[in-house]
Amino acid sequence: MLKQQQNEPVLEVRNLQTHFFTDEGVSKAVNGVDFVLHKGETLGLVGESGSGKSITSLSILQLIASPPGRIVGGEVLFKGKDLVKATDKDMRAIRGNQISVIFQEPMTSLNPVYTVGEQIAEVLRLHQNLGRKEAWAKAVDMLRLVGIPSPEKRAKQEPFQLSGGMRQRVMIAIAMACNPEVLIADEPTTALDVTIQAQILELMKELQQQLGMSIMIITHDLGVVSETCDRVAVMYAGKIVEQLSADQLFTDAKHPYTQGLINSLPRLDQEQEELQAIQGHVPSPYQMPAGCAFAPRCPHAGDICHTAMPELLQHDTDHEVRCWIYTPEWQGNDSTMMKAGNAS
Amino acid sequence: MTVFIIRRLLQTIPVLLGVILVVFIIMQFVPGDPAVLLAGDGATAETVARIRHQLGLDQPVLVQYVQYVGHVLQGDLGISIRSQLPVMKEIMTRLPITIELAIASIFITIILGMLAGIISATKQYSASDFSIMILALLGVSLPSFCLGLMLMYFFSVKMHLFPVTGWGTWKHMVLPAITLGASGAAIVARMTRSSMLDVIRQDYIRTAKAKGLKPNIIVYKHALKNALIPVITVVGLQFGILLGGTVLVESVFAINGLGRLIVEAIRMRDLPVVQGGVLVASIIFVLVNLGVDILYRSFNKRISLD
Amino acid sequence: MTKNALVEVQHLKQYFPIKGGIWERTVNHVKAVDDVSFTIYEGETLSIVGESGCGKSTTGRAILRLDEPTAGEIRFQDLDILKLNKHDLRMLRKDMQVIFQDPFASLNPRQTVRQILNEALTIQQVVPKEQRSARIEELLAHVGLRPDHADRYPHEFSGGQRQRIGIARTLAVNPKLIVCDEAVSALDVSIQAQVLNLLKKLQAQYKLTYLFISHDLGVVRHISDRVMVMYLGKIVEIGDKKSLFENPQHPYTKALLSAIPRPEQKDKRERIILKGDIPSPIDPPEGCRFSTRCPFVTEACKQADPALRAISEDHQVACHLVNI
Repeated sequence: MLKQQQNEPVLEVRNLQTHFFTDEGVSKAVNGVDFVLHKGETLGLVGESGSGKSITSLSILQLIASPPGRIVGGEVLFKGKDLVKATDKDMRAIRGNQISVIFQEPMTSLNPVYTVGEQIAEVLRLHQNLGRKEAWAKAVDMLRLVGIPSPEKRAKQEPFQLSGGMRQRVMIAIAMACNPEVLIADEPTTALDVTIQAQILELMKELQQQLGMSIMIITHDLGVVSETCDRVAVMYAGKIVEQLSADQLFTDAKHPYTQGLINSLPRLDQEQEELQAIQGHVPSPYQMPAGCAFAPRCPHAGDICHTAMPELLQHDTDHEVRCWIYTPEWQGNDSTMMKAGNAS
Repeated sequence: MTVFIIRRLLQTIPVLLGVILVVFIIMQFVPGDPAVLLAGDGATAETVARIRHQLGLDQPVLVQYVQYVGHVLQGDLGISIRSQLPVMKEIMTRLPITIELAIASIFITIILGMLAGIISATKQYSASDFSIMILALLGVSLPSFCLGLMLMYFFSVKMHLFPVTGWGTWKHMVLPAITLGASGAAIVARMTRSSMLDVIRQDYIRTAKAKGLKPNIIVYKHALKNALIPVITVVGLQFGILLGGTVLVESVFAINGLGRLIVEAIRMRDLPVVQGGVLVASIIFVLVNLGVDILYRSFNKRISLD
Repeated sequence: MTKNALVEVQHLKQYFPIKGGIWERTVNHVKAVDDVSFTIYEGETLSIVGESGCGKSTTGRAILRLDEPTAGEIRFQDLDILKLNKHDLRMLRKDMQVIFQDPFASLNPRQTVRQILNEALTIQQVVPKEQRSARIEELLAHVGLRPDHADRYPHEFSGGQRQRIGIARTLAVNPKLIVCDEAVSALDVSIQAQVLNLLKKLQAQYKLTYLFISHDLGVVRHISDRVMVMYLGKIVEIGDKKSLFENPQHPYTKALLSAIPRPEQKDKRERIILKGDIPSPIDPPEGCRFSTRCPFVTEACKQADPALRAISEDHQVACHLVNI
């Protein structure tokens, strides 16, 4: 795991807001997201379904289906340029070239009627202006790089002839072909078997070391986060509620949601009679509660939590929390705070 | 793939036998006696009986059928009652014309239909989308002879752009091809539209966008090939309907093709010609469908591994 | 605790035919389950763990006779269920129920919760008509839903709630055995915890026996008494949970355990990362099925398929390299 270096930021997301305008109303899927991705680091964006994490990654690359979605506010700064204001032409030069993304479903993310070699070569011809033969040769090289045996043979095959793990490797090959500076991986291993999952994560780490890129992994799996990330941002109901280093995640989590997530994991090393579940469920993005979105489920909620939304504030070095408990205004009655990490 | 082709070819044999049987049975029930018709008014009973014997119509039905099947397998489709020429010859002189018409019409159906469908899908809910869909509805609802006569009136009679009837130059082809291809184009347009809309929502289109490809490439390279897969099947079916449609269109535009031959033969109770014509048309239809199936499988390799 | 066998499976085989050639003959088989024998004891939770193609779901379905097994014997309370006629089998279904993975697909979207539960009660004639309404409310309360939920449609509920409805439906007929086929895999972690707690509570309350099918070892560790690991249609290891997790014997079990990203063990541990893909069940490898990926493979492994042998009272393993 790369030691997090306080290098220059490569991607800065500030107050990003992406809303969906449908017949049912306005869905505030991403409602004020801030984070920074530094050069060479791996950032984990963690959240459950409905948290808005996937929409965040699609928003960065302007891949939101519009209608009904639209980025209504905020900035996405990449190399000094605000992507939200970029033209379509600019974005096309960036996608697959400087910022790449791999998606969750390897079974359906490849075009079924073209060979995998062609799907990699296409990106090379587009962004690096390679000729047909050169692009094909490099495509085969990429397949070799991502660990696919007999790459010359495989390049001529169509996706259905490959297993899920191999297809995900092909996706990685496509994403890495032009040596991007940022790789966004949206639930890259969720749909894969556990032993294949381990292979893919290992591969991503190797490639990062070799090519020196920054990675943003979006996942709901805290285990994946602990194995691969330097820093973690936890998302709930469209906002970042906590940002901290991966080392601190299991020992020093401060936000009640983060703590709840950690405590609801079944542990492999301990017997537990009952899992500590978080009561209730994620609010609908069409009807966000007033105040802190987590308040209805929070065991420590005080009056202020139900009326006003807390800011994302610095709690410690490299540790930010969005929670009233850690602010001077806190007058909650709950002084017995749930200890972070290891369960009571 | 070869296995598949062989299997399908084997399957066509019972299909064709079935066609012969059905046509034969239907013709037995058609009122009118070919011997009487041929003998003409005022013929004596003896003449009629003699003609009937000549035509072999006095044999038991089953025997007639077996004899017929035997002849077909040798390429002998009998003699036309009306013209006394071999049926095969009658058909073969006219078949090329109908095939030209059919190809021109399918061209219209495919090209016009696909383009309309793609535009509709990529500009969903726009004015173009609605107008195309309304035109498509018209295309499907308007009977072909109605459309044919209207086109003929405006473009040939009034504007003198095209010849009114007949066949020979490319100008003769335009109006009949449009008439025949219109309803097919409408169906293909609707099918292409819904297939494209489906495909555009797929994950691999999202991947294509994430690569930074231009919108045109995404539509015409990545989406279209996938969207065409169900459309190919529809086109195959359309071809059959098209063959049937040649009957009306050839009559309206006075084109001397197979369709018109069959219509005349039915009117004259010229049984051998009817049977022969329908048989040839069926063979063409079956072969076209086989071609469509092969094309379908080559587009979609997944299925060809079955 | 005296262990009574509730279900006994002997030499179960489930082969699915593959057709090909000009005449559409059966050319080969998918050997989904290939000679599997085990027992499920009353009141316990036995988990079947494995990855894609291992045959765990197929085994569950075979026990419920949702698919007809190709060969083998399955006894439920000493009754040979494969010999039952249609009518008796329907009666048996009262005792064996199933909860499926997809909470969205396993409920009829056109029926209200009340209708769904009513149907279950009616088919199996569990309670007389007058008492059904009361029983429905009772069931909803048991799974943590409110009475006013009864008249809503499935699409009005969240994934976790739909799964609870599915659980209520299986409970409605007072079953003895519940097969949970990846029942919590499609749920978020925090909801998963809720549903797992519920399942545990109900098991104690109703003296249920669970066959828990899952790929998630963390969940399996939490909920099982005994665990069975499958690979490519065969059992590779089966035994008491504690014994299996603390002292895994089979290389595949070890690899599975090591592949799970573990938050609690931050320092670099020895991770076994298997090479290659899972082979196809159409053409499994010669000898031991795991030989193509096993980091400890020997020549002997490629020759013969190892049998399950006991290494302790409640722990069996199928591996040539394990000394008894």
